[in-house]
Amino acid sequence: MTNWKALAAAAEPPVPEQLLPDVVPALEKLEAALRLLEGAIPLDTLLWSGPEGIGPEDEA
Amino acid sequence: MTITEIGDALRGKKLSARELTEETLRRVAKANPRLNAFITVTEAEARARAAALDDDLARGIVRGPLHGVPIAHKDNIFTRGVRTTSGSKIFADFVPDRDAVIVSQLNDAGAIVFGKTGLHEFAYGITSSNPHYGAIRNPWDLERIPGGSSGGSAAAVAARLVPLATGTDTGGSIRIPASFCGVVGLKPTYERVSRRGVMPLGLTLDHAGLLAGTVRDVALGFSLIAKHASGYLPGAHADLRGMRIGVPENFFVERIAPEVMSSFRAAVQTAAALGAHVTEIRLPDPEALNVVGRIAQLSEVSALLARYLDRPGEFGPDVLVLVEQGRLIPATDYLNAQRVRRALARDFSKIWMNLDCLMTPATPITAPKIGEMSVAFSSVTEDVRTAATRLTRPFNVLGWPALAMPCGFSSASLPIGLQLVAPPQQEDTLLQAGAALEDAFGIAGRHPSL
Repeated sequence: MTNWKALAAAAEPPVPEQLLPDVVPALEKLEAALRLLEGAIPLDTLLWSGPEGIGPEDEA
Repeated sequence: MTITEIGDALRGKKLSARELTEETLRRVAKANPRLNAFITVTEAEARARAAALDDDLARGIVRGPLHGVPIAHKDNIFTRGVRTTSGSKIFADFVPDRDAVIVSQLNDAGAIVFGKTGLHEFAYGITSSNPHYGAIRNPWDLERIPGGSSGGSAAAVAARLVPLATGTDTGGSIRIPASFCGVVGLKPTYERVSRRGVMPLGLTLDHAGLLAGTVRDVALGFSLIAKHASGYLPGAHADLRGMRIGVPENFFVERIAPEVMSSFRAAVQTAAALGAHVTEIRLPDPEALNVVGRIAQLSEVSALLARYLDRPGEFGPDVLVLVEQGRLIPATDYLNAQRVRRALARDFSKIWMNLDCLMTPATPITAPKIGEMSVAFSSVTEDVRTAATRLTRPFNVLGWPALAMPCGFSSASLPIGLQLVAPPQQEDTLLQAGAALEDAFGIAGRHPSL
């Protein structure tokens, strides 16, 4: 999993240290949820392109 | 008064635009010190516009369905020559040199603009407790938030200062304040209404829309701003006969405050009594929509706002944290969130094979108190922002049209909101269903006493 504190320190400008307790936990939760979701989609899934961008190519 | 009633009074010479303008300005002057709904009141412009519209009418010229009707615009929507702050300190002195497309469309229909309504800073939050322009207050209880981010528009409509106001919705910012303030809010299909001249926030999540006192007023406004408008307006006796309405049996009925759930169940029964075919439906994973929606929103907003982080003191504390979070998300995660979004959209779109419309609560709670960070209900404690957005954000992610409208009141006399959702481009279905339910609920005439 991502070391968000290290990323925050390396950012330009760095994320102020006093904000880290508010910044990091939400990112950790979102990352964990995304890893599960992205692992479950077909390899050939394209980017979302609007509510009507879903067509025959999306059918498995 | 509704838009139709105002139009009839003006065209019937029972009222002039000048008289209505003076009355509106008097009401705004009286109410705004308590509500803080407006950041800017365009008094001189409104008077000049009213005089011109009266002169038009005297010559038999009717500019359109909004001829002489008072409206207001959310302050992240460009108005030529009138400052447009986005509720931020950073844009405190920004004066656009052009109108947003929706501003022009409503002007062309004859509207009189009374000013710019307050919002959560950058439209990036749901309390509308703005650190730079003050907390906007809910007309039903001045100690409570109106919701947000379009809190000023909702408060102005609920207090009957204007019958129609514009709003924007990235994760629920039209529907949440509509729910908390007991007004009607329409988030149209993604890109059905122009965003040109609307300050961007979530680039693939933003929607421009409307708030009004009644479904029929929202329908009239929508007919003026929609691309490929059908011109549909609900008739005097809208009904639900034959409409296939789905009621989720998962997620949207979980962790709901008891009074909200009770009103929602009663609304479902009303729909059935009006002739709808109501069926329970198990949806794919709506929480997954919220996950990818939050990742997309954090990334997209920071792409726009991170450039201002050299002035961190000019951000409110909550927005600063969100902007810092968003700039740390790798591009690979953003792109994979958008791929997951497409896969989820494919799964969710299958529900429309057997349905015309979905019904859900608009928010799981009624309006929290100003300053409350968490809410407790049904043995659950939840962050206010998470609670307020979790039933609305999924439809920004899918881009489907959604309407929030009042369906009841709590024991504390706070409005309870219902959400109707339809397939892309099917706003007419929402407006038909909304009008029928509004007639049946019989609460559209209930207003806060200020």
